[in-house]
Amino acid sequence: MKRYLNGSLLLITILLLTGCAGKRELNDLALVTAVGIDKGEEENSFKVTAQIARPADARGQTGAPSGQTGEPILTIVGQGESLFDAIRDLSSFTTRNVFWAHNQVIVINEDLAKEGIAQVIDFFTRNPELRMRTWVVITPEKASTLVSTVTGLELIPGEAVNKLFRYGEISNVAPNTQILDIQSAYLSQSSQPFIARVTLKEVMVSNKKPEKGPTIKQVDLAGAGVFQEDRLVGILKPEETRALMLFTERLKSGVVTTPCKSKPERTISVELRDQMFQVTPHLKGSQISFTAELDAFVMVVEAGCSFSIDNQEQVTELEQAVEKKLKKEIETTVNKVQKEYKTDVFELGKVFHNDYPGYWKQIADDWEEVFPTVDIKVSVNVEVKDSVLLWEETNSGKKENSAN
Amino acid sequence: MTAVEEKDHFFRDLQDNEELMTEILGNSVDLVRRRITFHEHKNVQAICYYTDGLVDVTKIERFISDLLYKGNWLLQHSTLPTGNPLTLLKEHMLSNASFQVIKEVNQAVDGILSGVAVLILDGSAEVFLVQTKGWEKRGIDEPQTEQVVRGPRDGFTESIRTNTALVRRRIRDPQLRIEQMNIGQRSKTDINIAYIEDIVKEGLVEEVKKRLCDIKIDAILESGYIEELIEDAPRSPFTTVQSTERPDKVASSLLEGRVAIFVDNTPFVLVVPSFFWQFLQASDDYYSRYMTGSFFRAIRYLAFVLSLTLTSIYVMLVSFHQEMIPTQLILTIASGREVVPFPVLLEALLMEISFELMREAGLRMPKPVGQAVSIVGSLVIGQAAVQAGIVSPFMVIIVALTGIASFAIPNYAASFSIRLIRFPLLIAAGTLGLLGFSAMFTLLAIHALTLRSFGESYLAPATPFQPKDQKDTIIRFPWWKMQSRPVGVTGDEKRVGDHQFPEPPNTDPYAKEGGKSKEEPKKDGDKSRRKKTRHIIKFKEEDEE
Amino acid sequence: MKVQISNGMFMALIINMIYAKAIGVTQGSMAREVGGDIWISTLIATIQGGMIMFLVIFVIRRMPEGDLIDQSARILGKWFGKLVALITFIFFLAAYGPVMSTFVFHLKDYFLPEAPILLFILAAFLLGSYAIYFGVEVIARMALIGVFSIIALNILLMLGSLSEFDIRELRPTFQMGFLRTVWASRHHNTDWAMATIMAGIILPMVANKETWGKMGFAGMGYGMVFIIMWPILEAGVLSPETTAQYIVSCMQMARSAHIGYFIHRYEMIMVAFFALSILTQIMMSLLCASVAMQKILGLKDYRKVILPTAIILNAFGYWINFDKNRAVDFLEGWWVYISIGVAVGLPFLILVMGFFFKKKLKKEIVAEEAK
Repeated sequence: MKRYLNGSLLLITILLLTGCAGKRELNDLALVTAVGIDKGEEENSFKVTAQIARPADARGQTGAPSGQTGEPILTIVGQGESLFDAIRDLSSFTTRNVFWAHNQVIVINEDLAKEGIAQVIDFFTRNPELRMRTWVVITPEKASTLVSTVTGLELIPGEAVNKLFRYGEISNVAPNTQILDIQSAYLSQSSQPFIARVTLKEVMVSNKKPEKGPTIKQVDLAGAGVFQEDRLVGILKPEETRALMLFTERLKSGVVTTPCKSKPERTISVELRDQMFQVTPHLKGSQISFTAELDAFVMVVEAGCSFSIDNQEQVTELEQAVEKKLKKEIETTVNKVQKEYKTDVFELGKVFHNDYPGYWKQIADDWEEVFPTVDIKVSVNVEVKDSVLLWEETNSGKKENSAN
Repeated sequence: MTAVEEKDHFFRDLQDNEELMTEILGNSVDLVRRRITFHEHKNVQAICYYTDGLVDVTKIERFISDLLYKGNWLLQHSTLPTGNPLTLLKEHMLSNASFQVIKEVNQAVDGILSGVAVLILDGSAEVFLVQTKGWEKRGIDEPQTEQVVRGPRDGFTESIRTNTALVRRRIRDPQLRIEQMNIGQRSKTDINIAYIEDIVKEGLVEEVKKRLCDIKIDAILESGYIEELIEDAPRSPFTTVQSTERPDKVASSLLEGRVAIFVDNTPFVLVVPSFFWQFLQASDDYYSRYMTGSFFRAIRYLAFVLSLTLTSIYVMLVSFHQEMIPTQLILTIASGREVVPFPVLLEALLMEISFELMREAGLRMPKPVGQAVSIVGSLVIGQAAVQAGIVSPFMVIIVALTGIASFAIPNYAASFSIRLIRFPLLIAAGTLGLLGFSAMFTLLAIHALTLRSFGESYLAPATPFQPKDQKDTIIRFPWWKMQSRPVGVTGDEKRVGDHQFPEPPNTDPYAKEGGKSKEEPKKDGDKSRRKKTRHIIKFKEEDEE
Repeated sequence: MKVQISNGMFMALIINMIYAKAIGVTQGSMAREVGGDIWISTLIATIQGGMIMFLVIFVIRRMPEGDLIDQSARILGKWFGKLVALITFIFFLAAYGPVMSTFVFHLKDYFLPEAPILLFILAAFLLGSYAIYFGVEVIARMALIGVFSIIALNILLMLGSLSEFDIRELRPTFQMGFLRTVWASRHHNTDWAMATIMAGIILPMVANKETWGKMGFAGMGYGMVFIIMWPILEAGVLSPETTAQYIVSCMQMARSAHIGYFIHRYEMIMVAFFALSILTQIMMSLLCASVAMQKILGLKDYRKVILPTAIILNAFGYWINFDKNRAVDFLEGWWVYISIGVAVGLPFLILVMGFFFKKKLKKEIVAEEAK
């Protein structure tokens, strides 16, 4: 028994000899909240821009007076032959350990994306420090510029982009792309990845010179980029991304505006509330076709001309107008992606594979060539079910009297 | 001592006896010798020995006056057949509530030292022991360490007979037995073992007695001595013997088949066997309604988990796994830590130790000053430390929360053991991260699993899992549901009768016959009731029309 | 040493023995072969495991006081018994490799990347030795706690991942063909193999002989319920291709779970629960190996051999895990053959031998009862 005790005591002390492996003090960490990747100055190199949050400035004084400088972020740039190399380069002039676990967004420059992002995907999925739910965006600007832009409402720009995506469901101008989605799309047999796109737009009015109008650039969601394997092949404008989101995500809500029939200069807006989107594949012989059906229940949220939900004629008119507009929207996007860019970002290959696995085996390897030839029919069915609070038309009372 | 060994019986001659007693007891100033002479003609001499301060002097005066007056009269005018003055005195005269006749010297000596008066008669080798105990004692007061909002406010005192009386008042069952023992060679402390014969677990009382008999120590000053000498796991930080100041706790434990050990000169009574979960139960839970009781018990379980692990988790997260903290929170924590010169583990240890210091100081300070220390200590010193940049504000919050949580644990002794366990857990988490935390936690869990308390698993009824006993662990089921006693009793297993769900009597006029009532409805009575109501309704309708 | 554990504890032990590796590492191996059909392979493996468990229970029922090794000694003599004990020891030695791999992969790669492997081996060594010193009862109780933490873990995961579940990823079924799906189930069979041989060693200690069969199956049923959620979620939320990419797919699953946006990563809570379960697995493997060693050496009490057994097993674990390539190769290659070979072969062998030497067995049992 005594030997046993002595032996285990010895082993416990060996345990202590290993030291505090992996221990990092919180104040020895530089918390990266956004990272931008550009093409490097030299051939085949990367330029990495890291946005580091300054805790003292980000939160204000919570304890003893600590060094506040007034700047909530610090942006640094590193270069290297690979991403890992560039990041190591960062540590040669950062006084703290660069810590990636709180990174909110990865910004990739479009020029780099055109050459291929396979390496980027691999780096960010192999490393355990990074989260799988990090947002990924591409931008036509230089990633370093985007990453260093101070944003209006949020103190930390990385946080700002995070929130943009969270609440972007309302505007539907860019899809929600996280590193996990891109990885699974890239690894998939048939689907191709797509990434949300942001730009810098002058939308903020300076407090010091309000007369000049919006002069300060802010980060703006602006459509999506479609890829073939890992290369960027095309851009979708903000108006076109909603159709893309219908195919790949569950669209929460959206707005469609149509001109009034009686007064074309005024418009009626409807909000899509419950929608069901179904894609069904069909196989006739060797001809593949898909039917995409959208059933939407809409609410009238703004009527510039007289509209009453009681008036069956007006409702039918409105429904048809909305249907036409939606159908055109979806068809434009589908055409663009299918015929022009020729990539299957809609996951149609997977849908087909689920229903016709036998035939899929034959064409799986050639899906890239087959996809542009398939027939995609779009049908939209809209029903107006609600007009929020009002029942009657919003018309001037005086006109009514004289008209009657 | 040698005199006692050599001579264990009394002499016949008073003079010899007197010498013997002087040799044994010495000449202490509080040892009183009262010479009595009665029966004028025969001049029977007697000496009464007692210890001043331990006896009720009125009782002694009464029996001495009995001896002097009545005894005299009796011995002179006695027409009774027996001429033996001893028998006369014993059966016809002395009006004390209890007394004994003994022959052994050490019994007499023990008696004198316990507050008994010893009467030695000339010419007799037998002496009288008269119960005259009466000393100053503390009145019955609310227990200091276990206070309740609802419930009885009497607590044990230092006198063992008062304590057993408090329990006897609550259980008037003839099956409640109390047995006596004396432990401690020089203190000869009275120990009473109480149990309910037809409920207690088989073999438990014998085991308790055996362990108590095995104790060889010169003095038992407090029940804590006994606790340490009979417990099952002396090397463990967990307490396996429960000690309590409340008579209602002892009574309910006895009703669950356990054994209570009363120790003289201390208000803390030991109860065995004990389970870990009962340290998290307070008497309040049983006296308030079950919803209230269950809620507060759940809060106490949360407090237990918090007090054990919160600091360790914080240190582990901030030192090793910063990716687990939400970004908003980590920026706040980081900004608070910017100026602190210490690593987190050291900071945590410093704060914990100073908190323990403050707690201990608050205990030892005299009452009026103690309150000031606690307020000053917690608020001002904490705030000042943060402002000076020695600790981060987050750490102060964490340690304060942990401290408050540990106060929520009702049993004082158990909260000590939890505080003790917290430190190794903290150090393990701070040096090895998640591996250290989970390894140390598992180690503690295994250790707790191997503990037994007088034959019962320490962690019952969680493991081994007994579904019937879950009614009283995390939530308290209402009394009308707790039909059986906990597993581990031998004998009478039912404590609540059937159909105890309380309901008002059925006054619904439209109810069908025999509706909800559990007893056999008296058919006539029912009908008559309904008839009456129907009648009333009819009457009302007529009225309206 | 006649220890009694209850039926519930036996079930808990079975669940704990298979859970740890089956949810992640096995799923990754299977996904590399059959993509989205990993849940079907899991189900098929459960059925096979059930059959083997039935076989083991049937064999032990013949001689309820002894385990597999005792029974083989009874049938063919002392040396055959020692041979069987040696095979069992090698089985658990080989099992310890994947068990340690799971432990190290989960805790080291994702939480403490800079910690040396020796640290984990030492922790397992100390904890394991300390726990099994007190006997099966303690481990069985830990297993009960382990089951509760498994349930908590499953609930936590579902909370964080169900919103992202896409059933289209699971379709179509049998895309790699039926035979390949069945062949892929061999990875999960290795987990059941561990549980069945463990049952073979500790069944004599379980109270209430009549319910052995029911309990064994109930244990497997519950185990399957707890495990099957993982392949379904892994294929649905990540995608089959992503699941195939990773060595430890369950951690990837856990890392992607998030509750709202505030709790963006809570895999540490899940791993804390998981650690309880896998520590139980480590302890049980050490215990069975010690018992096997005890029977090889012919000793009465397995406590004397705890230290040497633990040293051998942990040294092997260290050597296997030093090189990740070696670890994964062993896991998917040699270990499959050893485990299924022993798990199917050993009880079957004893069954057949028992038939031939039935009389001898019965005579001995009668003699025992007559004593």
